[in-house]
Amino acid sequence: MIEPFTVPFMGRALAEMALLAVICGPISVFVFVRRLSFVSDALTHTVFPGVVIGFAAAGLDGVFVGALVAGVLTAVVLTLLTRGARLTDDAATAVLLTAMFSVGVVLVSRQSSYTSDLTSFLFGRLLTVTPQQLTETGVLAVVILAGLLVTARALVFRAFDPAGAAAAGFRVGRLDLWLNVLLALVVVAAVRAVGTILVVALLIVPAAAARMVTDRLAVMAGVGTALVFVSGYFGLLLSWTASLHYGISLTSASAVVLLMVLGYLLLLPVRLLRTAGAARTPIREGRVSPHELVG
Amino acid sequence: MGVAALRYAGVSVGYQGTPVLTGVDLELGAGQRLALVGPNGAGKSTLIKSVLGLAPVLGGTAQVLGRDPAAARARTGYVSQTDTLDADFPVSVRQVVTMGRYQRLGWWRPVRGADRRAVTEALERVGLADRAGHRFGTLSGGQRQRVLLARAIVSQPALLLLDEPFNGVDAISQEAIVTVLRDLSAAGTALVLSTHDLTVARDLADLVCLINGRQWAVGTPDETLTAGSLRQTYGRSAIDLSDGRMVLVEP
Repeated sequence: MIEPFTVPFMGRALAEMALLAVICGPISVFVFVRRLSFVSDALTHTVFPGVVIGFAAAGLDGVFVGALVAGVLTAVVLTLLTRGARLTDDAATAVLLTAMFSVGVVLVSRQSSYTSDLTSFLFGRLLTVTPQQLTETGVLAVVILAGLLVTARALVFRAFDPAGAAAAGFRVGRLDLWLNVLLALVVVAAVRAVGTILVVALLIVPAAAARMVTDRLAVMAGVGTALVFVSGYFGLLLSWTASLHYGISLTSASAVVLLMVLGYLLLLPVRLLRTAGAARTPIREGRVSPHELVG
Repeated sequence: MGVAALRYAGVSVGYQGTPVLTGVDLELGAGQRLALVGPNGAGKSTLIKSVLGLAPVLGGTAQVLGRDPAAARARTGYVSQTDTLDADFPVSVRQVVTMGRYQRLGWWRPVRGADRRAVTEALERVGLADRAGHRFGTLSGGQRQRVLLARAIVSQPALLLLDEPFNGVDAISQEAIVTVLRDLSAAGTALVLSTHDLTVARDLADLVCLINGRQWAVGTPDETLTAGSLRQTYGRSAIDLSDGRMVLVEP
């Protein structure tokens, strides 16, 4: 079980997954409580043209910068779009998502190695993670976690009760922008390893799965991290075994995500059991008559 | 007690330069209880937001505890409307009340023993100390409202603002909330609460302010909650009963 990871590229892939696990556990909690799944989805897609432009301009090294610029830019645009938090923003976000993604596809189709490039941008190259890439992910992990830690209190307050947070002097607009920028950084950190399509799974599934087993935010972050790491470990092992012993080529990032989703499904009954055990849904009490009397 | 909790003179408030509410003249001393009464969309929430410095004052002068509204925020408490909150949010009752200390603690100063004691005391005051470990969403509507009240009083504000505190609240919780509010007021905390419940306004408030797009009347409940001013404020949704009482029909 350990042996495949003594091969350098497998060891680096596992290290990359470990770093992503440490980031994605906590950040996915905020995606979950702020209901930002769709915004995260949009972010991963809008980063795509940035990735392609970066690659076209400076090869693999350019991908990082391209993703960074595109990510931060869309974080700002998405914050402005979702400001009113009304239904129409969904449509606007979707337009932005599809437009940017199409731009990315058009750009990548101009490359000579179209198919293989597209595949690697969409689904990542977990097995070709370089030591430099690992360092960059490590630096981003520190930045993201520090950024989250410093603002976690305000972010939780805002997620729970925006009006109350504003009344307590927290700037809700700035907090939203901050979280979106942190999300963009996560996408940038993860996009080369797992690709634009699968990043979104890392942002959504960990906390959603962890919510099944706990009511506590900090525990959710921990369980989410563990889930990503365990899926990373077994996903890599699975794709190694499949190709080495059975001659099946299984994209490792896809294997990781599939296992993560499997973990989610396995935890689903836990949630059902817990709610059935508690079985104490709050009763809506109170006087709701619109007619009030005055003497 | 020289400084008034609230001093509004000819104030209009609104958004993007368009006034929602005009002509507000108010003076509220320490320990006084003010009820904002008016139909839905009258501008009650906007007026409360202006006290918190979250809705811009477009005209007139507004002072809160002798300062600019935004500058007074550290000494004001705000009770949100329970039904705007996500009942599925993974947060405990104790955590919710602790949020009331965040402004004092700043971004990341750790929660200390004094904070924890204040949280427990606030929960005891609203009679929910035994629920501290429960998830917020598992409580009833009235209990949630009491938790939010505990959150607002945990840092001992000089002015407490409550937006429709009795909406969807059961009788027991309403009683508990009213008791706490009376105690706070006796200890010198000024209160502003919005309500469409005229009975609550009459029983609880020293001052009533009738608003609907503009301020129609301000004064004691006896002066303001009269058939004439209510009809002015509510228009056709105020219906006179034959025995001299009024019924308000919210649209």
